[in-house]
Amino acid sequence: MIPSRRSFLMGAAALSAAVATPEMVRAAAALDVAADWAIATRDVEDDVARQTMRLIHGRAPTGLQGALFRNGPGRFRRPGGSVTHWFDGDGLMRAFRIHDGQATLEARFADTPKRRVETELNAVVTPGFGTRGDPRARVGSNDDANAANTAVMAVGNQVWALWEGGSPLAMEASDLSTRGFVTLRDDLKAMPFQAHPRRAPDGSIWNVGTAGDRAVIWRLNPDGGLNQAEVIRLPRASYMHDFTATDRHLILVLQPWVFERQALPVIDGLAWRPEAGTQVMVLDKDDLTRRRLYDLPGFFHFHLGDAWAENDGTIRFDVAASGDPRFAVDGARVLVEGHGVVPGDPARLSLITLRPDGRAEMATTEAIGEFPKADPRRQGLKRSLTAHTSGETQGRPLPTGLAVQDWDSGRSRGFHFGPHHVVEEAVFVPKPGATAESDAWLVGPSINLQAGRTELHVFDVARIEDGPVATWQADLALPAGFHGAWAG
Amino acid sequence: MKTRSALWATAALSVAALASAPAFAADITFDFDVAAPTGRIMVALFDSEANYGGEGQPVRYAMVEAADAQKTVTFENLPDGDYAMRAFHDLDGDGKMNTNPFGMPIEPFAFSNNAAANMGPASWARAKFAATGAVVQSISLK
Repeated sequence: MIPSRRSFLMGAAALSAAVATPEMVRAAAALDVAADWAIATRDVEDDVARQTMRLIHGRAPTGLQGALFRNGPGRFRRPGGSVTHWFDGDGLMRAFRIHDGQATLEARFADTPKRRVETELNAVVTPGFGTRGDPRARVGSNDDANAANTAVMAVGNQVWALWEGGSPLAMEASDLSTRGFVTLRDDLKAMPFQAHPRRAPDGSIWNVGTAGDRAVIWRLNPDGGLNQAEVIRLPRASYMHDFTATDRHLILVLQPWVFERQALPVIDGLAWRPEAGTQVMVLDKDDLTRRRLYDLPGFFHFHLGDAWAENDGTIRFDVAASGDPRFAVDGARVLVEGHGVVPGDPARLSLITLRPDGRAEMATTEAIGEFPKADPRRQGLKRSLTAHTSGETQGRPLPTGLAVQDWDSGRSRGFHFGPHHVVEEAVFVPKPGATAESDAWLVGPSINLQAGRTELHVFDVARIEDGPVATWQADLALPAGFHGAWAG
Repeated sequence: MKTRSALWATAALSVAALASAPAFAADITFDFDVAAPTGRIMVALFDSEANYGGEGQPVRYAMVEAADAQKTVTFENLPDGDYAMRAFHDLDGDGKMNTNPFGMPIEPFAFSNNAAANMGPASWARAKFAATGAVVQSISLK
């Protein structure tokens, strides 16, 4: 029997389908070719001197004066060995300063022991969150591994570069020069001070630091001096990147990603146990022994929004929740590799409600969202708006837009730059003299992938869907940062 | 011939005895540099990896006042061999290496060769040094 042309073609089609589907080809290509988003983890060789940014759209709103300090990893690769995880690059502090309608940008590396050792060796050797390190590491204290790369807190004339497992690193706000690690009290030297301190309505600053199933609860005065530090036991040794607070409560969300053994890098000691659910521990700020535990189905998160308590005792807060920690384990590795597919689903914005009768509920929205930020005039108080990054899709990492979720109306409004921008966290900046929640700007950068440049955008919260009211462009692209703080 | 071989044997024995007897020849000096002139520097010298690793006692130990102009200790008449030293600066003079609530040392510590710690004390391989005659090391406790 002579195979007909038709059956031959059918056979070839079947064969090719078995060998390579279009999806497989695309995935394979993505694995090999440097992605356009790879600039988000590019290496910055040296400090970046202050430069004037070029206004390319709109104009600066009257009354917007101040500085957006942003932190994030800026150096990943060295000839003798490199970081293998997004969270382990050297902290690069950026300052976007807006004055008299002009914007400037400068960036300076946090001068850490880790960076000094690795500069001397011309190799990344220090173990971290996802980077193994090697025997050349010199780590006599957790601060010797401190990358000072995660977030920033403005205190007086300083900005503190924050990490997760060690001390804040003080830098001068005026020129970003490093002053050194902050020891809040001699006997608390090197205690972890996490990346997401929260201010209470009275100006006091609260934060946590964890070691296994123990946490230090920090209470700082508005000027950054120590008021109190207390160590508490946690019901489980969860990985915790963030906590939240109302005016009266601290809220620790204990996800089922738990430390089951001592290991480095950190992610090697963690196990995902979704069947154990997520526990929410609420503590009374005035008496940390007064606690209540709530149970929710298991979910993964890095970031929480500000919480508030209602008159009947109901507590609410938002969270950027996803189904598992695949991004934290594998996605962040793909980002540094600069090509490939990020596994898992992007986080969605969800609202958690803790009822006075002990019930807990979690309502997940359709909004893809990370980096939730809210009105600083309402920290710990009832609010309705959450600003967040948006537009991340499965398979392609990093956000492409910004959105505002209105919890009262259930509406989401947003603006998408499109896939040629990597959009970073935007901070909520109240308009001078205004009190309404939407009387505010969102200020944050993006990387314009086509131009190869970092841009700074200002949005009006009330009309975010109209796009930026002003955009400035730098003459270079900095890698994507993590978290920022506005100093007005 | 018998006498001659006996002599040789005696000589060989005495040579062997000389070789195995301790040669009290090494004087090991540490000169410390500290950040604050309070409390004292606690110094422990070890002569084996096992003892250095915590299985046994130091071969010598000393305390040096941090306020002294010369913050120096000399361990004299030690057998030639490999040694390693651990020191910490007991800033508050309470005799203990203080830690923060999570167990991390909060007083300065150092090892011979100024060997770097790596997730724990510097290894014997990094901290050991061969001692014959006078050995002087400047150790930073800053």
